[in-house]
Amino acid sequence: MTPVSDRKQPDMLNTHTSVLARRVRIDADFATLPYEAGWASEALLFTQVEGAHPELTITTEVSPDGINWIARGEPQTLHEDGSIAESPLTVFGNWIRLVIRGATPERPARVLVHVSLKG
Amino acid sequence: MKRIVAVDGQLERFKPLRHIISFDDFDRGFNGWMDLTPNFVYDDYESFDSVVDLTSWAPSMLSSAPMRFAASHGSMAGTYSLKLTTAPTAAPHTEPPADGSMGVVVKRLSRFDDPDKIQIETWYSYTPEQDRVGLGEEDIRAFGFYFDIQDSEYRYMPGVRYVNSLGGELVKRWQYWKVADGVTPEQWSFGVDDAWCQPGIDNLWYGRRYEDGSADGYQWMPGGEQDLLYNESPDKINWLYMRLTVDVARREYVEFQSMDKVIDLRGIQPTLAPRYRSIDNLINLIFYVETDTDRSVHLFLDSVLYSTE
Repeated sequence: MTPVSDRKQPDMLNTHTSVLARRVRIDADFATLPYEAGWASEALLFTQVEGAHPELTITTEVSPDGINWIARGEPQTLHEDGSIAESPLTVFGNWIRLVIRGATPERPARVLVHVSLKG
Repeated sequence: MKRIVAVDGQLERFKPLRHIISFDDFDRGFNGWMDLTPNFVYDDYESFDSVVDLTSWAPSMLSSAPMRFAASHGSMAGTYSLKLTTAPTAAPHTEPPADGSMGVVVKRLSRFDDPDKIQIETWYSYTPEQDRVGLGEEDIRAFGFYFDIQDSEYRYMPGVRYVNSLGGELVKRWQYWKVADGVTPEQWSFGVDDAWCQPGIDNLWYGRRYEDGSADGYQWMPGGEQDLLYNESPDKINWLYMRLTVDVARREYVEFQSMDKVIDLRGIQPTLAPRYRSIDNLINLIFYVETDTDRSVHLFLDSVLYSTE
């Protein structure tokens, strides 16, 4: 009998980068949409800002259902003269999101959020 | 040389044409499916002028279909499906789509061996987020699929759209992609002069929409009424089958199958637009989902098969 092809995957990790907020102009506290990342074992979220912006506080959150959220991971501060921050997450279960606080109608910001996943 | 063909057991639930070009099981990753974005090629990496913000669609993800009170649904074969989602926001269905109110994924391919027919098949499901009480079915406006095709003469987009609900009222009818006669480019792009998109290109967000669900870019499919299986709660999803076959030699629809229903579409031609620069032989596959209200809705793709002959 002819052996069928070996379906085993190559010994190589999967990785994927998603854009959770694409150059969004914010003027209030902002949260990215609920995102499922359960297939990955590590997540690194990047927050970039285009143009002038106030000091921003960036936190990551986890959730059992994508509806109810609890903070997880170290808060990051993006100072007025900064343009990029990173927020690493491990042991996050399935749902993750990122919250940006500090933008106001007087001092808005334009944000670009990536999540880089690996597992 | 002896040719050995190992048939994937999963193909038993598909009806592929002679040549399988891609079979995407999302337990093995994204398989080249990605969020659709416009061309960031102008000053400051901005895109072309558009009334609809084409940068705003919600990000897709690999989903285990977890639910609020139920357990994870998993996928039809395995754990993961590709989930398209939306932001919890919508414009009235008679207006252009609101920022974030759609989810759109694309797989970018090209013509191979000059086939006469091409076909897409998928097993899929749909549900809203269970963020409020109730059935939820009436909050899912629509979902659809289309091919983006360019040959040596025309660019055209044959596709289908299931109009599930409009303004909270269930409709449950299929449409196909074709532009009504007499629509001008300015009407098509909601008033933008010299718009990038011509009538027949990107029907999913361009073209005027009307109260009864008819639209410049969509025509009701003959016999397209179908009470698709939604189930009885947002946390229960059933896997459904869909297939669209297109004749790219004659540039016309061939057949559409949804679950147990098969509709003959021969003789119907999608709208032919002039060629665009540098995309001859392009064949893109695109799925999308639309919310009808301030609620995220999801389209889960268990697997997708693209074949030709």
